[in-house]
Amino acid sequence: MKGILFTFALLSPIIGGLIYGLERKFKARMQNRQGPPILQPFYDFFKLTDKRALQVHSFHSLMGIAFFVAAWFAVFALLIGPNILIAIFLHVLALLFFTAGGFSVKSPYSVMGALRELAHILAAEPILVFAAIALYLSTGSWNIEGILTSNTVPILQMPLLFCALVLTVPILLKRSPFDISEAHQEIIGGAEIEYSGLFYEAVYTAKWLEYIFIGVIVFLFGGSNYLLGALLVAATFLFVWLLDNATTRLTIHYMMKFAWGILLPLAAFNIFWVAIWR
Amino acid sequence: MFGFFKKFRKKSPWILHYNTGSCNGCDIEIMACLGPKYDLERFGIINKGNPKQADILLVTGPVTKRARARLLRLYMQMPEPKVVVAVGACACTGGVFRHMYNVENGIDRFIPVDVYIPGCAARPENIIEGIKKAIEIWERKQKEKVEVPKVLKEIPDVETLDRREIISKLEEKYSERLVIEEDEK
Repeated sequence: MKGILFTFALLSPIIGGLIYGLERKFKARMQNRQGPPILQPFYDFFKLTDKRALQVHSFHSLMGIAFFVAAWFAVFALLIGPNILIAIFLHVLALLFFTAGGFSVKSPYSVMGALRELAHILAAEPILVFAAIALYLSTGSWNIEGILTSNTVPILQMPLLFCALVLTVPILLKRSPFDISEAHQEIIGGAEIEYSGLFYEAVYTAKWLEYIFIGVIVFLFGGSNYLLGALLVAATFLFVWLLDNATTRLTIHYMMKFAWGILLPLAAFNIFWVAIWR
Repeated sequence: MFGFFKKFRKKSPWILHYNTGSCNGCDIEIMACLGPKYDLERFGIINKGNPKQADILLVTGPVTKRARARLLRLYMQMPEPKVVVAVGACACTGGVFRHMYNVENGIDRFIPVDVYIPGCAARPENIIEGIKKAIEIWERKQKEKVEVPKVLKEIPDVETLDRREIISKLEEKYSERLVIEEDEK
């Protein structure tokens, strides 16, 4: 078990890239287009290696690389660490590196994107923490191996919280209707706007790791039933891609109201209900 | 080693599209190229909209005096290797706006152009063909060679190759100064 999880964590950028390629293909097919090949993210990756990298200043570039390293570290902490709560905090740390990089340059788009990124963290991360608490309540373990070998199936006890988690995925992956911090052609990528060449490559790859991070958390809701977990992950991603194609961008105020007014009470209600009912 | 990475250039060209005061005819055609019917994304092309991450600069319009400083700035902000494509009659020669008081008769006075796409407006098939030619030229370009705008020669005492200095010098010379003629009463 430990060996499989370690290998998965080691290969997570490659698997995340494949998921991103699949996403682009699926979205294109939904729009009746042919779409790029599934390996397209890797072609982009290799091309960016051969571009000249224009640095704004060294701290900014360092934060781009730190974002990638910390995001990968968070995936490792989630998969082989002792406690999934620590992995969620490390994930916040990775996003904070990215935000610090965005704030460190003069470009107004970058600063605005970083501000919006903070709002994304504020909206999405509490629900991830609630998801970790829910997994502990239903399986009795903070550890990924404990959750994967327990007898209970968490989604049966936590259906409302799982709904809230699925609606958090667009906020975390910056997909429409909550693509506020990236906002292509409005603030043109937000905090990632000033990265180029190798340093953009790090940011680009770090975003693939988000798929793995959220995918593993969704997978854990299947408990020891791995087939159910895989189905949940596939259904979640398909739903998010469909939602991305079908909706337009909302405002930041709407996102905060939605996350703190609807999703968080939904998740909290489910947790209190299960905790009292036991 | 670098020969390996060069192979992937043609598989993921990213586009930056800039409108220097065109009538939006060519811009609509470029959008049509990216839409479901012509679907440029099947070649890995996406409209990035960010000069620091783009490879191909698609320029439409006859370069109005307000737009020229921005055009030079966008060109300088793109990292090498890069190619420039002039889309439509206006970007190539000035088109119907040629020799008007507020335009600069095409983009090739300012920046080196690799591919000219004719047409008013340029047809999507022509644009796809032009981008294909641009990718062929782009594959032969060097990463190390810094490309500078043509008009840099007109500015005296530029010795440095620092991008920020070049950009500020170009903006100083080519930024539009508004002259408001006052009515004599």
